[in-house]
Amino acid sequence: MSYLSTKDFLADKDFVDRWQYTLRSGELDLSWMRAATEQVECKPQNARRGLTFRDLDVPGYGYSTMPELARANRSFAPRGAEIPEGCPDLQAEVNRKSEVWAYNVESYYEEAMSRQWNATTDVPWAELVKAELPDDIARAYSQLLTFLTEVEMIATDVPAKWMGRLNADFFEVKNFIATQVMDEARHAEVFRKRALTTGYGLMKASPQNELNLKFLRDADSFSEASTTLHLQAEGMILTLFRFSEYISPTEGDKKLFRLVMQDEARHVGYGMQHLKWVLDHFPEKREIIHKHLDEAENFVFGGAYAVEVMEPFIILSGKGMKKAQIEQGCKITAAFQVKQVEEYFERLEKCGLPERKERSQLYKALELGQAQLAAMGVRTH
Amino acid sequence: MSVTFPSGAFFQALAAAMAGAHDRFRGLGFFDATIGIRVLLDDDGGAERLFVLVFEVFECTRAEEVPDFTRLHVDFVLEGKTSVWREMFENIRRNGGADVAHSINTLTHFGEQLTLRYDDPDGHDKLYRFAESVQQFFDLAATLDGVTYEGAARLAAPAA
Ligand SMILES: [Fe+2]
Ligand SMILES: [Fe+2]
Repeated sequence: MSYLSTKDFLADKDFVDRWQYTLRSGELDLSWMRAATEQVECKPQNARRGLTFRDLDVPGYGYSTMPELARANRSFAPRGAEIPEGCPDLQAEVNRKSEVWAYNVESYYEEAMSRQWNATTDVPWAELVKAELPDDIARAYSQLLTFLTEVEMIATDVPAKWMGRLNADFFEVKNFIATQVMDEARHAEVFRKRALTTGYGLMKASPQNELNLKFLRDADSFSEASTTLHLQAEGMILTLFRFSEYISPTEGDKKLFRLVMQDEARHVGYGMQHLKWVLDHFPEKREIIHKHLDEAENFVFGGAYAVEVMEPFIILSGKGMKKAQIEQGCKITAAFQVKQVEEYFERLEKCGLPERKERSQLYKALELGQAQLAAMGVRTH
Repeated sequence: MSVTFPSGAFFQALAAAMAGAHDRFRGLGFFDATIGIRVLLDDDGGAERLFVLVFEVFECTRAEEVPDFTRLHVDFVLEGKTSVWREMFENIRRNGGADVAHSINTLTHFGEQLTLRYDDPDGHDKLYRFAESVQQFFDLAATLDGVTYEGAARLAAPAA
C-alpha cells in the first residue's frame, strides 16, 4: 500500500456528521448541479453506425479544440468535466498531444470495437484439430506459431505499459490503445491455441527476437515506441500474416490469419497516422525518430533473419524438406523478405519520412536482397 | 436468375446477397472501403472492364461498372484476367467459399494471379483491415442462382 489518504474519514467527525445529517434531514448540498461545463446533447450523424466519438467532438468536450499541451488536467477528470480543487496530480508522463495523437484515431477506435472477434468461437477448431499435417510441415508451423505467440505477448505489454502514463485528456488514444491490448492478447491466445492443436505443441523461443522485443518495450518515449511497434514491427508482422495466410495449410488456418491480419492492419494504420501527426506537429522529433529507427532496424535484421524464424518459412512455403522443396521455399521466403522491407519503406515515405532510405542500413540490406532475388530469377512484382 | 461475369449486375447481385446476410456482416464489424475491380479481358488484348464497390458501415452501397477510377478515391484495385476471376468464382461456388488456393489474399500476395494496385499504402492496408469482410463478400458468389462467364477461357473445370 504505497499511497495513503491524507485523512482517516471514519475518524473525521465533520465528515461523518455531514453524511448522517444529509440522510437524516434530506437537506442536499447540490453544488455539483452548478458544474461549470457545457450542456450538450450529441446525436449520431449516421444512425446505421451508432453514436461515435466523432459525434461527441463538440465544444467543451471535443478533441479537435484540445490544446497541444494538456496543462489544466492532471487528474482523472474526464475531458470536459469541471475540475475542482483537490483533484490529485497523477503525474502523467505524456502531456503533449502531438506525442500521442493520430489523424482519425477516433475512427480507428470505433472500427476496433466493432471488429472484435473471439479466438475461442470464431476459429473453426473442430475442423483444425482434424487436419493431418505432414511431420515436417507441422513442426515448422508449430515453430512459426511459437515465434508469433512470443511476439504477441510483447505487443500486449507495450501499449499496456503506456496506457496509464498518458494524460487522461488523451481519452480517444487511451481507448484505442486499450483495444490494441485486447487485440494482442487475443493474438497471443489464438497462436498458443493453434500451436497446442497441431499435435506438436510449442517449439523453441527465439533469443534474438526477444532482444528486439525488449528494445521495443524499453523505448524512451511513446512516439519512439509507437514508430517501432506500430509502424515498423507490426507493419512487418502484417506482411508476415499475409504471407502466413498465403502458405497456410488449411482453410481454417487461412481464416485465423485473416482475422489477426485485420487487427494488425488497424494497429499499423494508427502507427502511420501517428507518425504523420508527429512530423506535422512536432518536427523536432524527426531526428529522434531516425536515431531510434537506426537501432530498431539493426534489431529487426538480426531478429527476423534468425534461423528459428526464417527456416520454418522456407519449409512451409516450399511445402516440405526435399531438396527441390527447400529451393522453392528459399525463393518464396526471399521474395517475402524483400516485400516486407519494401512495404516498410513505402509506409515511412507516406508518413513523411522519405529520407529514411538514404540513411538506413536496412535499406542497404533490401538492395542486397533485391539483387539476390534477381540472381535467383525471382520476380517480385 | 443467372448473372453474367463480368457485369454490373453480377456485383449488384453480390451486394444484394450482402444485404441479405446483414447479421453476418454486422458481426464482422464496420467495413468502410472503396474497392476498384479491373477485369482484363483474355481474348481482347488490352481491353478491360472496371467496377467500383463502395462499402459503408455494414453494407455495399454502390456496385457498378465505371468508365475509369478518376475521382472515385478507390483505396485499392484488384486486377486480373477474366479467366483468373472466373476460376476464383467457380472455386467459390464449388466449395461454398474459397479454398486454400483461391482466397483473395493468396491470389494477390505475390501478384501472380490477381494484382493489388494502390497509390496510398494506407488504402492498400484496408484490404487487410477488412480482410475477412472482403473474403466473405466474394464468397457470397456461392449463393447466386447461376453465373455465366463472358470473354474468358476456363482455367479449371467444371463450371459452377
Ligand atoms: Fe498482434
Ligand atoms: Fe498489433
